[in-house]
Amino acid sequence: MSINKSDGLRIGESHVREAESRFPGVIREVRWICDDQIVLDVVPEKAPDVIEYLYYDRGGWLSVVVGNDERPINDAYAVYYVLSMEEADPCYCIVRVEVPKDPGEFYSVSPKVPAVVWGEREVQDLFGLRALGIIDNRNLVLPDDWPQGLYPLRKDTMDYRYRPEPTTDVENYEFLKDTGDRETTVIPMGPLHITSDEPGHFRLFVEGEQIIDADYRMFYVHRGMEKCAESRMNYDTVPFLAERICGICGFAHSVAYAESVEHAQGIEIPLRAQFIRSIILETERLHSHLLNLGLVCHFTGFDTGFHHMFRVREQSMDLAEMLTGARKTYGLNLIGGVRRDILAEQKVSTLKYLDRMRSEVANLVDELLSTPNFIDRTEGVGILDRKVARDYSPVGPTVRGSGFERDARWCHPFDGYKSLDRKAITAGSCDVKGRTLVRIGEFMDSLDIISELLENAPSGPVLNENWTYEPHRFAVGWTEAPRGEDVHWSMIGNNQKCYRWRAKASTYSNWPVLRYMFRGNTISDAAMIVGSLDPCYSCTERVTIVDVKKRKQQILTKQQLENYCVDRRHTPLEY
Amino acid sequence: MLKTLKEIIRTGDATVKYPFAPIERPKDARGKPEHDLANCMACGACAVACPPNAIQMVIDSRAQSTSWSINYGRCVYCGRCEEVCPTKAIRLSTEFELAVMDKNDLEEICMYSLQSCTECGSPFAPAKEVDYAYRILTQFVDDPDARQAAELVKVCPRCKQKRDSQRAKQNFESLGGVS
Repeated sequence: MSINKSDGLRIGESHVREAESRFPGVIREVRWICDDQIVLDVVPEKAPDVIEYLYYDRGGWLSVVVGNDERPINDAYAVYYVLSMEEADPCYCIVRVEVPKDPGEFYSVSPKVPAVVWGEREVQDLFGLRALGIIDNRNLVLPDDWPQGLYPLRKDTMDYRYRPEPTTDVENYEFLKDTGDRETTVIPMGPLHITSDEPGHFRLFVEGEQIIDADYRMFYVHRGMEKCAESRMNYDTVPFLAERICGICGFAHSVAYAESVEHAQGIEIPLRAQFIRSIILETERLHSHLLNLGLVCHFTGFDTGFHHMFRVREQSMDLAEMLTGARKTYGLNLIGGVRRDILAEQKVSTLKYLDRMRSEVANLVDELLSTPNFIDRTEGVGILDRKVARDYSPVGPTVRGSGFERDARWCHPFDGYKSLDRKAITAGSCDVKGRTLVRIGEFMDSLDIISELLENAPSGPVLNENWTYEPHRFAVGWTEAPRGEDVHWSMIGNNQKCYRWRAKASTYSNWPVLRYMFRGNTISDAAMIVGSLDPCYSCTERVTIVDVKKRKQQILTKQQLENYCVDRRHTPLEY
Repeated sequence: MLKTLKEIIRTGDATVKYPFAPIERPKDARGKPEHDLANCMACGACAVACPPNAIQMVIDSRAQSTSWSINYGRCVYCGRCEEVCPTKAIRLSTEFELAVMDKNDLEEICMYSLQSCTECGSPFAPAKEVDYAYRILTQFVDDPDARQAAELVKVCPRCKQKRDSQRAKQNFESLGGVS
């Protein structure tokens, strides 16, 4: 087991000791489930205090909140708060709170650490547990017309194919607004609008052109993948399902799942496989960042740049196809390693691709940055305040654009990244421009990382098939996807199935801060701000504008809104 | 502006003639799995490994046959079938143009006959798989265990169990035990 050299402690032990001395008798059990992951079983009443302490005083950030129905194992539910400790003594601290099955209540951590609010709302929805004192008690995952008392992820409730009849036709979701006594107009965008793969519904509360507050509703296309994996898939086929969580950063999910199982079971992955995983992860970042840079061009009215970015992006897709056999959904991961090696001739042509992209993108970026429109439209727009960022644990270029060095590749080095000595790329301006510059920097960095990894990759096997598994062990696996950290938590059951699989995509951590980024900007910037999170742009069918004072209603097309975002003349609100 | 114009001129035509001209895919690209009817022995390894259940086998014991089918609409082109196949009867090709007018055309089905047990007569495994096992076993000429297994290859697991228990009973009684 690894020992922290300076003081003879195990990795993460300093956090445990400090927490124990501050809250004596609160931590019931401490165990290391692998080198750098610690489970702290805490007394339920004190969990919010311990988590607040670890989060704010020990440099913790929230990765994911996991609910688990452990009644068949130990007759209770459990909620796991996974904290990524990123300052001194980096590790993952998993705070486990056992929730008795009757009455199924636990103390909400959200009043102390707002970052957990989505996770706790999800646990309430899917397990029917109640978080006492939660700051936002609305549904998150389940639709408003879902039957009362049907909690999908309980082990004894429903088959994964069951689709209950809607119980009501009335929309009863309450949108929050914090507008004081100002009179605002509501602009709904959606239900199919600018979001990542999932369509979402936005409500902008505006005064004139100014956005005073905003709220949104997501999960219209919750696919129930976790339930599906638990009931239908075998644990070793889940990497292929995980890959389909996202159409852009699928490989990052597949690696995160595979590594969560590998960490839990102590499976060693061959060194060469680790390098290959990192190389493919970076290849994925290339095409994802080019996609976002293209969209930034598009949003700022520089459509020529958009087309050129996508033209160059095609080279990164070709590169991925050459290395893995497919443009997307690489199908490369198995538990224990990867299925394809990178051959010498592939290495040579990869380096050629990299050189071409490096010079082409450098030219395009130069063009983009010298476009006056780009600076105009992005500077000072969509500010993500550093305090809001600290409270909500956003990830990826979104948080790095606000000056935080949060990058799972360098905070918690894994796979081939362990062999590299690099730092997270950040920008201090907190705005859309900062986030774009981070992406540009990371793109160039990725090119260097791939060639460095290719040069240094050791030879040897790529798949370890010599292992057995022990049921009901769990751990987290993580990767730095293009949009930020993907964290998967998994526990294998005793029937070749996943007992519980919790996948947290990076954008899940970024949505909660969007509300604050909207505030104070104009309507024409709204699409731009959402775009700067880099969610996949699932198209807006149309936008309805309701003027509350005049009681009039008008429907705008996606084209109208987009045109306004591009040229900022002829506001669609003039009627 | 000047930079942009120069870039446009430098790039020239970025599009290709596809679909009016064929497009080249890398030689390791993963496309349509091609099933080789003759090499396949219907062992079912691919059906077990297939993550989306695109490959399925359904036994019809009355007709003494088992069907092997693949649905290209469900296939995710991962190539697990190719990896697990012991006889290399399924290989991924690079073909990717699989659109059809009728959904049913996405499915391919073939039938394999089942081996009947030489003792009780009920079908228990694909005949080709049994034959494959027999051919492997008969290669170990000097191994008495292999020889015995080869003799019993056409006996179903239930009848084998019955034989074993009868023999155990005989042994037990011959040692003086009371049944």
